[in-house]
Amino acid sequence: MTAIRTENLSKTYGAGRNGTETAAVRALNLEVREGEIFGFLGPNGAGKTSTIHLLLNLIRPTSGTAYLFDRPVTETAVHRRLGYLPESVNLHDYYRGRALLDFYAALCGVPANSRSARVTELLKLLHLEDAAEKRVSKYSKGMAQRIGFAQAMLHDPDLLILDEPTASLDPVGRKEFRDILLELKRRGKTVFISSHILSEVKTVCDRVAILQNGELKRTGTLQELSANKKTKLVVKGLPAPVMEALAITAAEVTLVQGLATISCPDEELRQTVEQLLRQHGVEIVRTETGTQSLEEIFFATITPPPKL
Amino acid sequence: MRTIFLIAIDSIRALLHQRLLLGLMLASLALTIFFSIIMSKERTVITESFSDDTMTNNSVMGTNQMSAVDRRNFQDKMESASTTFQAMFYQVASFGGSIVALFIFSTAVASEIRKGTIRLTLSKPVSRTQFLLGKYLGGVVVMAAFALLTWFAILIFAQNLELSPVIKWAPWLMFCRQLMLGSLAMLLSLFMHPIIASVLAFVAGNGFYSLHNPLYYILPSYKDFNVFFQVLEGTLLNLKDVAFLSLYAADFVVIMLLLALWRFRTKELV
Repeated sequence: MTAIRTENLSKTYGAGRNGTETAAVRALNLEVREGEIFGFLGPNGAGKTSTIHLLLNLIRPTSGTAYLFDRPVTETAVHRRLGYLPESVNLHDYYRGRALLDFYAALCGVPANSRSARVTELLKLLHLEDAAEKRVSKYSKGMAQRIGFAQAMLHDPDLLILDEPTASLDPVGRKEFRDILLELKRRGKTVFISSHILSEVKTVCDRVAILQNGELKRTGTLQELSANKKTKLVVKGLPAPVMEALAITAAEVTLVQGLATISCPDEELRQTVEQLLRQHGVEIVRTETGTQSLEEIFFATITPPPKL
Repeated sequence: MRTIFLIAIDSIRALLHQRLLLGLMLASLALTIFFSIIMSKERTVITESFSDDTMTNNSVMGTNQMSAVDRRNFQDKMESASTTFQAMFYQVASFGGSIVALFIFSTAVASEIRKGTIRLTLSKPVSRTQFLLGKYLGGVVVMAAFALLTWFAILIFAQNLELSPVIKWAPWLMFCRQLMLGSLAMLLSLFMHPIIASVLAFVAGNGFYSLHNPLYYILPSYKDFNVFFQVLEGTLLNLKDVAFLSLYAADFVVIMLLLALWRFRTKELV
């Protein structure tokens, strides 16, 4: 069973004053498996938040369908298994922290006899015990983000959809947040994170998807995405015929302290070079496989915006 | 049903924290009390001035009793003053209540969309139908409490007055009218800005279609819920009339809520 599935999901916003239509999401086909942490990446305006709003049934698709746990997102009952943290946490500011969580817990169907204990547990987990009786209108951005995270976890949902969850957190808060996510993953929960912070996504996510202009550019594990990895073959000395042969390929050769490093930008070239080296009896001292960082993958995937 | 009640309770909580609304309610209540006191005072002034006139006339004529003509004059004067003040009082109380109702219902859903708080609520197992009905129910409870408060104020501050028999139905009809206004304002607020929705809702039902005009059954009409005219004209309302009007209001509210639900189900909430 998939936690999230979209089929040709599209969203176009109607013509504005200038008469143009804006396609926020274009024929998106996405699958998030149960139990994985999935990173949803893309530059500003890529359509990440629109996709999340479509998944939550807050906006209607222009075409296509979206499913949560194989049920259409229009079914309210499926929200029993869902927790959501929006990008900007707008809370009912007439509540105090504990009362707000109690209200949301009641809406989620948390039984009255265990509600108070659950609220206390989450207040403690997110270091909000001291702010429990404080009016949420007085909360700082970081505190609002924490209580927003708490309300998303109140009913221990199977799927968490988090839109820029750490935007307002300090480094300590981010570290704690990552630990909570890893604990959720250990317990078999599915987490869907939209984030700009690539280092964070890299640390916790099993798979990522990169979106640009509403279009899904790439999706997969970090290893899969860096399939076009560079390989470096380190050898002791290069005979002239090998040097000549390499000169007409895309391989780059660097000589440092008697060792030659041959960089092969793709798998095909690596095999050709290895064959060439074997033919000339050159011993390969070691092979270095250089994987691309998520940042490199991200920037290699997205088309840079036109220069002004 | 439980979810609707939870949303309604939250809605009441939200309304009671709105300073502008509380200010409007207090102002409306203060006006009602002010008019109740004025009505009582005016009655005393008329009685005293009439007694003075009668005493003067009687001392000239050497009699101690009020003549039949004087009594008739006195009664006419009293009735006329009382009727005018009661009608005016009703208008003030009704207008104040209408403003409060328009404020409550036109902002109930619209403010949640504007602030973005609706996103968290609807991410829970709460359907749009439950949300909208809960919001309306919350408004109804606040309006009922406000209507009761207004009526208690009248009973306390106008206790010496002989009220028109029509006035006894006034709080109920006023309440029905406010719920009609509210349901229309809530529906319109899903299409436009709450202020414009409020103005339109107020204007739309104030066309003077009588019971015999076919428009009465198509367009909203608050006319028969306004006992101002009955008080002025001295006409009476019987239980049957009130029951009919209550049914009309219930019918109207149900239709408006159904239309609001139809609109709300497809509305983009960001």
